[in-house]
Amino acid sequence: MADYVELMGFGPKGWGLLMAQATLMTIAVSATAFALGSALGALVAWARIEGNRPLRIAADAYVTVLRGIPDLLVIYLLYFGGSQALTALAHLVGAKGFVGVNAFAAGAIAVGIISGAYQSEVFRGAFAAIARGELEAARSVGMSRPLLFRRIIVPQALRFAIPGLGNVWQLALKESALISVVGLTEILRQAQVGAGSTRQPFEFFITAAALYLVLSTISGLGFQRAEALGMRGVRRS
Amino acid sequence: MKLMHLCAAALVASLSLVTGASAQPKDWANIKIATEGAYKPWNFTDASGKLIGFEVDLAEDLCKRMKAKCEIVAQAFDGVIPALNAGKFDAIMAGMNITDKRKEAIAFTAPYGRTPSTFAVLKSNALAKLPDDGKVYSLMPDGLAAAEKSINEIKPLLKGKVIGVQTSTAQANFLEKYFKDVIDIRQYKTTEQHDLDLAAGRVDGVFASISYLKGVVEEPKNKDMTLAGPRYGGGPLGFGVAVGLRKGDPELLAKFDAAVNAAVADGTVKTLSTKWFGFDITPQH
Repeated sequence: MADYVELMGFGPKGWGLLMAQATLMTIAVSATAFALGSALGALVAWARIEGNRPLRIAADAYVTVLRGIPDLLVIYLLYFGGSQALTALAHLVGAKGFVGVNAFAAGAIAVGIISGAYQSEVFRGAFAAIARGELEAARSVGMSRPLLFRRIIVPQALRFAIPGLGNVWQLALKESALISVVGLTEILRQAQVGAGSTRQPFEFFITAAALYLVLSTISGLGFQRAEALGMRGVRRS
Repeated sequence: MKLMHLCAAALVASLSLVTGASAQPKDWANIKIATEGAYKPWNFTDASGKLIGFEVDLAEDLCKRMKAKCEIVAQAFDGVIPALNAGKFDAIMAGMNITDKRKEAIAFTAPYGRTPSTFAVLKSNALAKLPDDGKVYSLMPDGLAAAEKSINEIKPLLKGKVIGVQTSTAQANFLEKYFKDVIDIRQYKTTEQHDLDLAAGRVDGVFASISYLKGVVEEPKNKDMTLAGPRYGGGPLGFGVAVGLRKGDPELLAKFDAAVNAAVADGTVKTLSTKWFGFDITPQH
């Protein structure tokens, strides 16, 4: 036990600081990805509900493809494929050498577009849960569409979406572990490095598991609070 | 066409803003070298996050010889070749063996290290009785007959056993080629994962570079493990560990080649490997 404390501590032989930095990286990349996914998800949900035919088909395709292929593949495609495509483009305009997609951007975008596919489904479901009568009532009093969107749809849809979004956030948090393949030092990659460098894999993987658990527990409490806040003033049936 | 160029330029420009892209000049005054950072003692990380190990010291020496400014970065091993070809860095020094398969994708310098591979098993396992005469059986044409004889001798002992090996390594190819019909090969992402399964008794043995396994069995917590069986090298087990480079960079290859040969010739590799491994890994020609 004392050995473990020294190994994960902040002393000269301790990996505490590195693990803490890796935790911050996991939070940063997951949060960026989740935010990106929210924006994408909202747009796609709107395209699927209100869009014209081609827009709807495109949105459907996006959701089907991104939910249907392994997340690791998306990351590989973006990080390696993205760099190659950009380099080819750059050569087309006469530039030399390589153009890179930086690891953080590639990771956050990859997890973000996956998260977006899931979030669009959450938003669509939340919209469907709004009572139709409220929308008709709003229209019948002559409410314009932007006003209807802002006053009737957003407050209610967001409220209904919170539990689903909490789920998708946990997914993003765990998917961030896949980004270790692109060289971004998040919790899992740091644990692998520590395990290989000290030959004490068990200690590092247990610590990584505990860190993920702490992050998901804290954020889970956050979502619970948000849900309670969103539902105040709503009578539970 | 002009419009396409313009669009492409705009796209590249806008993306480079986001991603901090860089296009290096080709005089090789600056070289970015990737290593794994988790393969003790070849390359690993200390508690402050600094990369250390045999290859880190050697890289520094090679760069001095090439009069280049080098930056060493850590990259997970399973993405390291595509990342090199995508231009994330210019060279790989990650305990990587030259193999025919890898040569299809990248170029290699002359080897700077060659260590045979062998088995590690639990002392309680029947495999601990695998013969080890301390000799290295070469799989190169001149030693192949003796090596195959030794392989056929140990095959009956290995029958039905489960052997762990790191995936996409020269060792995995070797097992596939020579032992596929008698053993159950279990592939792992990293070497310490198969060590864990060995300690747990989930595999009967693991097969890896002796330079790595020696350190593993010497750990106090692994006192139940031991090296066992003949030592094999060369051929499908790799022609040695070398610097990996893109095929499109012949000037850099020539520079690295000269530096590696010089470091082998003047004993630098011997000094550094004795410091990190406890024995000399200089490739013998």
